[in-house]
Amino acid sequence: MLSRAPLDIPRLIAERRPGYSLAAPFYRAREIFDLDLEVIFGRHWIFAGVEAELPEPGDYTRLDIGHLSIVIVRGDDGAVRAFHNVCRHRGARLVTQEAGCVGKLVCPYHQWTYELTGELIHASHMGEDFDPSCHGLKPVHLRSIGGLIFVCMAAEAPADIDDLAAVLEPRLAPFDLRNAKVAKQVDLVEEGNWKLTMENNRECYHCAGNHPELGQSFNKYAVGFVPDADDHAGQAEAAAYEAQVTAQVADWEARGFPSVAVEHLSGRATGFRTERIVLDGAGESQTLDTKAACRKLLGGLTDAKLGGLHLWTQPNSWHHFMGDHAVTFCAIPLDPEHTLVRTRWLVHKDAVEGVDYDLDRLTEVWNATNAQDAALVELAQQGVRSPAYEPGPYSPLTEGLVDQFATWYVERLRAHLG
Amino acid sequence: MSVSASAAPAWWDPDTDDLLICRAVLTETEDVKTFVFEAPGGRRFAYAPGQFANFEVECGGGIETRSYTLASTPTRPDRVAITVKRIPGGIVSNHLHDRLKPGDALKAQLPLGDFSTARHPAAKYLFLAAGVGATPLMSMLRAEDDLASGADIVFVNVARRMEDLVFRRELETIAARNRAVRLAHVVTGEGAEPWAGHRGRPTRAMIEAIAPDFRDREVFVCGPDGFMAAVRGVLAEAGFDMGRHHEESFTFGADASAETPTVPEDPAEKTWRVTFTRSGKVVLCDGTTPILTAARKAGVVLPSSCTKGLCGTCKSKKLDGEVEMKHAGGIRPREIEAGQVLLCCSRPRSDVTIER
Repeated sequence: MLSRAPLDIPRLIAERRPGYSLAAPFYRAREIFDLDLEVIFGRHWIFAGVEAELPEPGDYTRLDIGHLSIVIVRGDDGAVRAFHNVCRHRGARLVTQEAGCVGKLVCPYHQWTYELTGELIHASHMGEDFDPSCHGLKPVHLRSIGGLIFVCMAAEAPADIDDLAAVLEPRLAPFDLRNAKVAKQVDLVEEGNWKLTMENNRECYHCAGNHPELGQSFNKYAVGFVPDADDHAGQAEAAAYEAQVTAQVADWEARGFPSVAVEHLSGRATGFRTERIVLDGAGESQTLDTKAACRKLLGGLTDAKLGGLHLWTQPNSWHHFMGDHAVTFCAIPLDPEHTLVRTRWLVHKDAVEGVDYDLDRLTEVWNATNAQDAALVELAQQGVRSPAYEPGPYSPLTEGLVDQFATWYVERLRAHLG
Repeated sequence: MSVSASAAPAWWDPDTDDLLICRAVLTETEDVKTFVFEAPGGRRFAYAPGQFANFEVECGGGIETRSYTLASTPTRPDRVAITVKRIPGGIVSNHLHDRLKPGDALKAQLPLGDFSTARHPAAKYLFLAAGVGATPLMSMLRAEDDLASGADIVFVNVARRMEDLVFRRELETIAARNRAVRLAHVVTGEGAEPWAGHRGRPTRAMIEAIAPDFRDREVFVCGPDGFMAAVRGVLAEAGFDMGRHHEESFTFGADASAETPTVPEDPAEKTWRVTFTRSGKVVLCDGTTPILTAARKAGVVLPSSCTKGLCGTCKSKKLDGEVEMKHAGGIRPREIEAGQVLLCCSRPRSDVTIER
């Protein structure tokens, strides 16, 4: 009889080779997946959604990560709060739908009724000694940064979210995402470990061979792609792009649009990277013709040619904010080999579908790109299942940011395992 | 043999069989009809003249309950009759006028009420009737006449027009041959038939002219609220012993109000029918009672918890009608716009249909 020895996770972490992909158990083992939920998703700031999903008091969304379920709800005071989706009576799920609108949060089991601030305001038949004030919903840390909602389920949330807020607030302000609307949300389940989803997102090595639609607007030299030394044509392209970026970024900065790269992807709890990227062609939007897909621009913007403000947050999101629309991506681990990728397209809340924008045109590039990425992630997952798999080298020229992700991940596990 | 068969008269008892079978529909005036009923098995009716009974009428997809005076007299116990005015927009009165025909069945309950000469025996009476308010007084008059009681009765019958006087010919016939009965018609408006007699609302002068000895009489008044109030005022002002003044409002009970033109127009003071489409049940609910409360009293079980407009458990789709809702945050403006209501804190302002 073969019996599997318990996984020595500290040893796996200690043996991780910098510059190389992770060992197979990191992509496959239930024990590591559980650890990921506990440490990575349980103790760090997670991108959870956008305020635009909750335009009015009483609007809520539910987010499940592993055994954890939280409800994010806009209160009558207009503030957005997050709570554990667990009744304080006998623990039943309060909110069963993915999203909706409520007057109060009411447990379907015995109708315990909570104010949208979490306070218990009605529980019948509990006797005179019952103290409702001790049975409010358990809060979850929530920060809205420029309309992007981050939550942290730990008792103590990492304080360096303030750095992300400080960098991001002025960058997002012109887009006024709180006054945007979700034009479309698409959920896609990728057949791969969440880290493969994230690694795939953190490089554009694969773009030229796989993403013809995205490639119309997204220049592979934008995010960490460096041509080989003997690739003279590539060198020339990269140089031309660099020159364009230098001029364009100077212009944006002068006009009050912070654009230069800010990169804190590892070495801290709340890792992120942001940069305003020059888009190819008309330079307006990630569309097939590179022009704006929505006639009504976000916020009070008057110039569509703002490139794409790009944002990555560890562990689970990436975003592109353009003059006419924004796309946000949220990765949620489902099990060791499945990951939910939730994509939301945002436009100005007053933009009218069919008048100001065509939904197909708005979404076609990223729908295609997501499908292509999902196929790639699936290939990677299939590969790491083989005993022949061993961690391989990240390209020092084009995959430095993938390595940043893996480095951050290993750092965080190490920090919490002590 | 035949003696034993008829020894114990079988009385109608709604506890064992509450059906009444319509045997005739008679036209009294252009908007008043009399419906005559027989009990199953030839059972007989026992009641006091002037009493009313609650009738259940199936109409409009539900069951309506209304109170109607038995205009018939218990001295003719084989049949009962109700005399009903068609009320514009009235659900039940229109149904009865347009649909009920001989052979149809209605359910009824035991006759009730103290508005009866049997409860207030006297040698001399003054009956003041307006419109279909004549029905209980007609029942009492028929009984006194049938029994040859010798009671001295002055019957004042008021209508808008001569042609609207209910029971006019029968009253005239009784008064013509019963020397103890005197009849006075009063009209308040103009009609096709000329009238040179008493006109307008009852005044002290009018009552003194018709029955100078009214202070000696037991007074029974039935008609619209305004009419009864006017009579009350005249009698009180004349120093009448109000202990001998009896009146019957057509707004008695909640059930009759929708049929009565005299009720106030404020929808909060009316009684409305609430129809639940899934259960098919119909509940009567007045404008001051939350629909959930009325439903619970009527045995209609609905989901609910806080009953304070807070938890939203009783949230239901309102398919039709108007309510006044005072919630405590358990429902959102968008939900209200979409036709949702909280039944625990919604009071009807019209007939209401709820998807439950």
